[in-house]
Amino acid sequence: MELERLSDVVYQTTGATRVRVLADEVLIEQIKNDHSLVQLMNVTSLPGLVGTAIGMPDMHEGYGFPVGGVAATLAPDGAISPGGIGFDINCGVRLLATGLERAEIETIEPIVHELSRSVPTGYGRGGRVVLDGSEMERVLREGCRYIIESRGLGRPEDLSFIESNGSLPEADGAAVSHRARERGHDQLGTLGGGNHFLEVQVVEEIFDETAARAFGLSRGQITVLIHTGSRGLGHQVCSDHVRVMDEAMPRYGISVPDRQLACVPLSSPEGRAYFGAMCAAANFAWSNRQVLTHRVREVFGRKVGLHPDRIRVVYDVAHNIAKLETIEGRRVCVHRKGATRAFGPSSAELPPQYREVGQPIFIPGSMGTASFVLAGTDAAQGVSLASTCHGAGRAMSRGAAKRAVVGAELRRQLEARGIVVRCPSNAELAEEAPVAYKDVERVVDVVVRAGVARRVARLVPIGVLKG
Amino acid sequence: MADHSFEEHVGEVRLRVRAESLSELFAEAGRALAALMSDDPTVPSPDAPGEEVVVRARDRGGLLVEWMNELVYRSETRKKVYTAVHVSQISDHELHAQIRGIDATDLRTAVKAATYHDLRIDDCDGEICASIILDV
Repeated sequence: MELERLSDVVYQTTGATRVRVLADEVLIEQIKNDHSLVQLMNVTSLPGLVGTAIGMPDMHEGYGFPVGGVAATLAPDGAISPGGIGFDINCGVRLLATGLERAEIETIEPIVHELSRSVPTGYGRGGRVVLDGSEMERVLREGCRYIIESRGLGRPEDLSFIESNGSLPEADGAAVSHRARERGHDQLGTLGGGNHFLEVQVVEEIFDETAARAFGLSRGQITVLIHTGSRGLGHQVCSDHVRVMDEAMPRYGISVPDRQLACVPLSSPEGRAYFGAMCAAANFAWSNRQVLTHRVREVFGRKVGLHPDRIRVVYDVAHNIAKLETIEGRRVCVHRKGATRAFGPSSAELPPQYREVGQPIFIPGSMGTASFVLAGTDAAQGVSLASTCHGAGRAMSRGAAKRAVVGAELRRQLEARGIVVRCPSNAELAEEAPVAYKDVERVVDVVVRAGVARRVARLVPIGVLKG
Repeated sequence: MADHSFEEHVGEVRLRVRAESLSELFAEAGRALAALMSDDPTVPSPDAPGEEVVVRARDRGGLLVEWMNELVYRSETRKKVYTAVHVSQISDHELHAQIRGIDATDLRTAVKAATYHDLRIDDCDGEICASIILDV
């Protein structure tokens, strides 16, 4: 595949196929090391594709779409593909600002320890919130509004600082199978495994005082970053509907080069069913992060006497989702898989407090490295379908990371830097070692130079609870 | 003699399976999933209660994906790893199996689902080989 370098950080295919990648000269070579460019090329086969399929600088090989892939299809008859969202529907990140200064806390260890007792991690571990049938229905339909207003697990003000107010009105609980509900019934308030985490951090550096002030962030403040999604419920929704679309595609005369890209017109019965189920799973994921927010408030209350009102939600944003958006005047279905929405100051969807500065975006680094707070720009619509990266991006398989890194040694190194770590095993810790990921500073530098986001703050970890 | 191996994939795991028959290929894939999920190789006694499984799909590849996803679903909701797997009847469209599991609350690797990406089932030197990517 021939790529032409349009600018310092934008590459694009030269032929009829329409692929654009945001990367610098180092990241583009890393991207070429796996099959992500071929996967991005496959995405251009989706019927109704608008413009180019776009790869983020943290892009790596996945299945169907690459992780870090973005594509928009024309609504209502363009395609929707579960492979463009992934199994972990509405995997995303939420940042909490505690208002506490690092200097106000003698030691972080008791807080991290208490968080590890309050937040179940790993596979199949249920939480304290167990939903019966009607409660599950309300979570799927109402999302965070139900969790906060009816269950009392949060503050009403939280809703304004969650993408789509934590509740997609297109959610259709009837399209969510009994199996998906069964998998999710005890999973609210749980992290799950893999690369999910809950991190206690300190704001180390502010790059944009105006935006930081709007976001309520100040140097030295303690923040908490939560990374998780819709757990088994979302996984099952994806499995159920990929199967349906795999069987339905021939009826719509669609063929794709990868069966995991199975798709149908959004306006078709199968397309509407998947979109409704995906929105319901997204509501479940936002509810999950809301319950976790409540647990964080409880823990800070118990351990340092902090009133729950002092911990505010800075923002919550998905990075595995499809949304109906208006991009450059056209109504489109934007698939973001491992990519974050990046709305600029002109977006009416942002809370009034952020309309001067743009949408907050959170880019977690790898374990033990810095994370970034960015702000979206209006220019991102034209450059990247109003999208940006979602993390550092995996560069090494889990097995290779375990061979390259001794988990016990990594734990010692993190602890020597004053980072309290809670992880089920040293082997799992090694899987998420910094060497397994690309350089987050470089990834962030690319999206800033491409003009799709502005740097606001840099956060460094002091406590990590690994899923 | 059936066997399996796991190959590296940037974010996920590729499972390769080889067997003399289609039924043994699918049974070995089920046992491989258990081995990926848990270090515990314990096989429950033949007297332990079993579960009857029926899976249907539109073709052989789809059947393998659905079979893996059936085991993932049962493992997560019943907190079990199915180390004893017997496939009693199989065609390109339907599978009947009997499975028995061991209790597992904490697993080594959480498997979210099986994918259709780069899915292959081929004849190879008189045996059958399969390759499937699992989202972990």
